[in-house]
Amino acid sequence: MFNLRDWGAGVWERSGRPVRVLIALGAIAAAASLPLLGGTFLNTPIADYGSVLVFPVAIFVIMALGLNIVIGKSGLLDLGYVAFFAIGAYTMGILGTKTGLNSWEILPIGIAMAMFAGLILGVPALRLRGDYLAIITLGFGEIVRITALNLNSIGGANGIVGIPTPPTIFGLEYTFDNHRLYFWTFLIIILLTIWMIRRLSVRRAGRAWESIRQDEDAAELMGVPTFRYKIWAFVLGASVGGAAGVLYASKTLFISPDNFTLQVSILILACVVFGGMGNIWGVVLGAIILGYLPDRIRFISDARLLVFGAVLVLMMNLRPDGLLPRKKREKALPEKGQS
Amino acid sequence: MSESILKLQNATMQFGGVVALNDVSFEIKKQEILGLIGPNGAGKTTVFNVITGVYQVTKGDITFEGKSLKGRKRYKITRGGVARTFQNIRLWGDMTALENVITATDTHKRSGLISGLFGLPISRREEKRDKARAQELLDFIGIGEYADRLAKNLPYGVQRRLEIARALGTEPKLLLLDEPAAGFNPAEKVELAKTIRKIRDAGYTVLLIEHDMSLVMGVSDRVVVIDFGQKIADDLPAKVQNDKRVIEAYLGVPEDAS
Repeated sequence: MFNLRDWGAGVWERSGRPVRVLIALGAIAAAASLPLLGGTFLNTPIADYGSVLVFPVAIFVIMALGLNIVIGKSGLLDLGYVAFFAIGAYTMGILGTKTGLNSWEILPIGIAMAMFAGLILGVPALRLRGDYLAIITLGFGEIVRITALNLNSIGGANGIVGIPTPPTIFGLEYTFDNHRLYFWTFLIIILLTIWMIRRLSVRRAGRAWESIRQDEDAAELMGVPTFRYKIWAFVLGASVGGAAGVLYASKTLFISPDNFTLQVSILILACVVFGGMGNIWGVVLGAIILGYLPDRIRFISDARLLVFGAVLVLMMNLRPDGLLPRKKREKALPEKGQS
Repeated sequence: MSESILKLQNATMQFGGVVALNDVSFEIKKQEILGLIGPNGAGKTTVFNVITGVYQVTKGDITFEGKSLKGRKRYKITRGGVARTFQNIRLWGDMTALENVITATDTHKRSGLISGLFGLPISRREEKRDKARAQELLDFIGIGEYADRLAKNLPYGVQRRLEIARALGTEPKLLLLDEPAAGFNPAEKVELAKTIRKIRDAGYTVLLIEHDMSLVMGVSDRVVVIDFGQKIADDLPAKVQNDKRVIEAYLGVPEDAS
């Protein structure tokens, strides 16, 4: 069967540096021009097209990339990923309304808070494996939401309103409905995240995660400090989730515990699995499709979730490894090889 | 005789009421090939597991280069110089042969996640050095041409050899081989015996578990025999072969003699 992932990787591998730069720039340009295509077939019928591109699409892409470090790279099933998103968003909400800090100053703080939460959760939880880890993280996600729900000092069920927009930079104004500017800003964050993951994947950290995912005991016995690398995966995943949270809050300007339900964790997990666990481009594609599709087919109103579910079931049957599966190919065997 | 590198002192391993190892003591000398044999279920792999920290001995002690291994983390034991292969092959199937070995060489990298992220010179240098080292090890074991193939797609015999190359990637002083010849045909066994000697001659010490008697007796400098968790012989191969208790352990006791 035709494998788009291997075909793409083949093109990439055969081309020299200038062609690669060209491909990368082309892809970035294509992504950046998405908000300009509102008048075409892509337009979403009810929700504003530009707005859909920012949330859910761009935010989903960021979160799926982060969760992919945890699930796709290291094989740790995290069902409470929304917690880090919530922590980032609440950091933005609280600091944005109560202090004079602006979004760009809060972004690193939000990331740090999420990483710290990842560490606190990871140290006890990562001693467990598989199903047990999934249950603990599931609980953690709910604890964060319920805490936010019951803490009246941070708005309780009413959430936080009046979160400030990011300040104007280079004469670009982040007004509420300037969706294109938000999208381009988020695109930069997405590119940075992709750069980070790609860098790590081909070096020591990537190999350590890969070995842990495939056989954790063997990894440990081959001298890989598995616990430390699992913590790193968790913390890095959390940092990306936290960044997504800060950006989300400074776009929607209003957050409440309802935005951070278990459903979000599951949906992001679906993006990762649907797109192709462990493959950055698959995950990006999965998040774009799953973020965008429900709004594109909104004209069939209530039936859209049914269609959405049917698409998921069908796709997972046809392509169980996701749209763009992880690396499976290998370089050709040299001719001198014996059997 | 040269000094010992690893010592088991009255090692006892109990799983509840089952005594897998009972008061086993032996030592391995530097640059020696020590064969460890015994009937099925005698406790050979348990010996490997207590040495590498998979299990903690219930009683007794294990020292490596004079230091106790008790309570030490598994990956630290490996980093300290003890590497093993697995009886049932446990390679990372979705990685290439070369990547499998490089992952093991990471044990000695000083660069970590941060320097890797920013591509610092130390990370680049170490990546380059270890890639070359990994290829060297594959060539040394004789499977260099398979470097770029996924481990799971390799022929069985190559996988077994890759296990050895991967263990060598951690730069061990002591190499534990758990039935490296399982499933090999006679020609491959001869080839493996050569490889094991080559490994020893390169300066490693080898502890070998193997069922194939001709291989063990041919390649080992000394043989330790265990049965029902107890050591019953520890001598030169030729002497062990004629030891009455060893013959009894393998062939059983004649009825009228008991």
